[in-house]
Amino acid sequence: MYILPKSDLPMLLRTLADRYELFGPIVDPVSGETLFDRAASPEDLRLDAPIPVNTPKFTVFPHLERILSFRYDRDSKDLDIVRDDLVRPKALVGVRSCDLNGLLCFDRFFLGQEYVDEVYRDHRRKMLIVTNTCVRPFVQCFCVCTDSGPYAAEGYDVNLTDLGSAYLFETGSEKGAALAVELGLAAAGPADAAARDAAVNHSIGLFDGQAVENKAWISRAVNRLTTGFVKPETWEYIGRQCFECGACSFVCPSCSCFNIEDVATQAGPTDRLRTWDSCSFEGYARMAGEHNPRRPVEDRRNKRFFCKLSYSQSKKYLRPGCVGCGRCARVCPGDIGLPNVVTAIRRETTGSKP
Amino acid sequence: MSYHSGVCNFCGTGCGHLLQVENGAVRGVFPSPGHPVSRGRLCVRGWHIHELMATEERIPRPLTRGAAGLEPVTWNAALDRAAAELGRFRPGEVGLWASPRASNEDVFTLVRLARGVLGTPHIDLLSDGWYSSTAGVLREGTDQPGALGFLTDVRSADFLLVVGTDLARQNPIVASELHFGARAGADLVTIGSRTTQLARLSRTHLRPAPGTKKMVLAALLKILLDEGLADPDFLAGRTPGAAALRRSLVEFDLAGAAKSSGLSVDALRDLAGRLAQAKRAMGFFSTGTTGLGRDTVALVYDLFLAAGKIGRPGCGVIPIVGISNLAGANDMGAAPDRLPGWRALPDPAAEAVLRSAWGGAANASAGGRVGDLLRVSGSPLKALVVMDHDEEIILQAEAIRRLDFVLYLGAFSNPFMDLAHVVLPTATYAETDGTYTNTDRRIQLNRRKIEPRFEARPAWRILTDLAGRLGGAWGYTAPADIFADIARLVPAYSGASYAGLGVNLGGLTWPVESAPLAGAGPRAVPLNEPIAAPAPADEAFPFRLMAGKSYYYWHQNNIMKKTFIPRREYNALLLLYPQGLVEIHPGDAARLGLRDKRPVKVVSARGSMTVQARVTTDVLPGMVYAPYFIGPMIEGFLKPEAGAVERGEDGVIPVRIEKV
Repeated sequence: MYILPKSDLPMLLRTLADRYELFGPIVDPVSGETLFDRAASPEDLRLDAPIPVNTPKFTVFPHLERILSFRYDRDSKDLDIVRDDLVRPKALVGVRSCDLNGLLCFDRFFLGQEYVDEVYRDHRRKMLIVTNTCVRPFVQCFCVCTDSGPYAAEGYDVNLTDLGSAYLFETGSEKGAALAVELGLAAAGPADAAARDAAVNHSIGLFDGQAVENKAWISRAVNRLTTGFVKPETWEYIGRQCFECGACSFVCPSCSCFNIEDVATQAGPTDRLRTWDSCSFEGYARMAGEHNPRRPVEDRRNKRFFCKLSYSQSKKYLRPGCVGCGRCARVCPGDIGLPNVVTAIRRETTGSKP
Repeated sequence: MSYHSGVCNFCGTGCGHLLQVENGAVRGVFPSPGHPVSRGRLCVRGWHIHELMATEERIPRPLTRGAAGLEPVTWNAALDRAAAELGRFRPGEVGLWASPRASNEDVFTLVRLARGVLGTPHIDLLSDGWYSSTAGVLREGTDQPGALGFLTDVRSADFLLVVGTDLARQNPIVASELHFGARAGADLVTIGSRTTQLARLSRTHLRPAPGTKKMVLAALLKILLDEGLADPDFLAGRTPGAAALRRSLVEFDLAGAAKSSGLSVDALRDLAGRLAQAKRAMGFFSTGTTGLGRDTVALVYDLFLAAGKIGRPGCGVIPIVGISNLAGANDMGAAPDRLPGWRALPDPAAEAVLRSAWGGAANASAGGRVGDLLRVSGSPLKALVVMDHDEEIILQAEAIRRLDFVLYLGAFSNPFMDLAHVVLPTATYAETDGTYTNTDRRIQLNRRKIEPRFEARPAWRILTDLAGRLGGAWGYTAPADIFADIARLVPAYSGASYAGLGVNLGGLTWPVESAPLAGAGPRAVPLNEPIAAPAPADEAFPFRLMAGKSYYYWHQNNIMKKTFIPRREYNALLLLYPQGLVEIHPGDAARLGLRDKRPVKVVSARGSMTVQARVTTDVLPGMVYAPYFIGPMIEGFLKPEAGAVERGEDGVIPVRIEKV
């Protein structure tokens, strides 16, 4: 534990910018919204800005990414595969705890199973993550109910907590520890840790007044989803409102589904592209022989909420799939973000009208 | 930053988005949270526009037709050839098709090329026919040829009426606004024969028999008038045209209309009362293939006017536009009978207006629609200039093949290239600056994000170079110059500039310098034709077919097929229904012995198609619904029925269904 005076924050950012492409919260000048994006210069990053509207997942899992190129000669059957080495070292600064937990889900999905995704591994290996304890939750947030915030417990290189005139600088890896030494930071004391705990507790207290309809019900929803107690009528009510746009998956910090397309380029080689996909789409679950286990929209919707809240998925990720960021609620044309789904499940059991 | 603010280029909602640029290429998209209309949402199409921007199916370089077909040439060679060919024709021998997806600047320069350089009045839009007549009705009533309300008022409305159309498929984010409005307590009502998603989310869904929507609207209007529910000014005849409109409805048989439409008089009376009592009421209808005929649009307008809901804050009717700049392209004068700014022709002052704006002679006469001119024998057209033919099927391909010269400008590879003698590759909307005008009159500036890919050039620049070779020195060096000319010639756009449009998300709504509906009026719009019940079903053609919308099928899909995920979804649908589909009621299916996914033959008086049946209660008994059209359906059925399709949802086609 160290102390980073706020006046030294530019020094930290410049040090990182020398070695990494720098990503973090940037305030868009036209809309005034915070985006998590690449910074042209370290001064653009705003650690005090509200939660970014997008998640940093595109830094490890781009919306559209060429994962390799190949040339194939039909006659000689020669195959020339070019693995791209376009992955540049990235430093993500000001990552919220919810989004970090999304990345940890990604790690388990892409790296933690039988096959390791090499492109993803490249992104992650060349990455340094500086998290930022969340002191300004968004009105739809509920990370306190999904074990993902507002304070990051693991998975960061450095975690910052705003203590007023300085940041508490906690290290979570050898890279982070080396950075503290290099920057010559002063060690923090017990009073600083206490101040951090107070800041975290204050942030947790802010959740009391928001998401009151569904917050306490997340764990009950996990139970009811896992045990199959949610009535078909509730899923139909939710399915009727789904516009099948895929937005919930695309903005979700832990949604990792993708599709692969091979595209012959006008320059000659064929590009193998990876693109975001979503269980909202009917074609997503279609199998050979016209079989589709999830054709009706309500079946596709409940699949998503199983993925986010059911216990079997939690076993895979070692945590709930939902990280409580509330972004799905902001982008849904049907007004069926996860908080409203939890509310619908709650109302089903309490008998009140949806 | 890698994310750059812009405007989605698919439908006329004009959602704000952020395009992600990596290494000079568009690689992602994200909704723009602060946008006043879309408020951080995109639909399935908008979420995949980066796939279209990344497609390799571009026209990479200029092509001219030689002995061996189209061959790549330099820009100079292509422009020289195009100018030499176009220069051969006399005024009036060239027809031009503008694109409803092109920017205001691109359409405006095409209009200027036509009238100011080529001297031809024969210019119009591919995929129009509905918007110009719809906006024309609204102009007749209010002097304002466009939406008479704001999408930003939907969430505070207390009454929302959707007439026809599958809005959740056509303009999903507009439908989403209506859904949010209903969730906030608004009384959402859908009038449509088919059960759509929005119909399911409505408090009331009235299902009139196909082809009787006009009668239902007339019935609602008559109830407002006869039962004293209408606005006092309208009832007392103080609203111009109100008395005449009322007289035209005296003979209208309410009970008969209810019977023909299959609705009860009580249900209609209830709905009329709810509309009359609402404080903030808004109406919506489509202007696309599911649009309404001229009189039906007039009745929607008159109904809201009679209810006192036109020109009042938070109220109004909004025609919903299916293509990004269909409304703006109309404002730019891509029409044979209008100049930029909706100046109707013939007009003795028109030539002076163009001469003073453009500093030279111009053809300000009224011309013909290119499609109509191609159809007639002895057509005056000898050459054609076409911008962005996004559709797969080319109507009148035979007539076009007979022309002396065809110039095609477009960004994406397209079957129209096969008909062209010169092909000029244009930049996409992400590769040049441009303004787009959405469905509620919002002029939005979309900035260039990347350099044009391959050898493409912005259309405005190509047209400026072409005009220069043909003797027109326009002096445009950037789209902002063109917009300055637009603002001079289109009164509603006066006061707007790139500097002003660039400072806020959502741009500016026209009229920029005055309050909306500041003109004379509003007045009642008279009906052109008597309201008659549709011809009774006869034994030869007992079913009524309606055409509609599908999510992944968009404007014949030349564009959607260049994406990955929407194309997969479309293909998944085609795997189930490879021949295309029509929806039919289970009762009818049982009677005819039809089963889901089995082929059926749909026969009209003019054409036929063999498609598969989708058996669903979403349609009424006696009704057939075609949500999209693929090649054989268009060739065998839709083309011969073009007249009926041009009447939109009013133009139901009598068909019979044969088991195959």
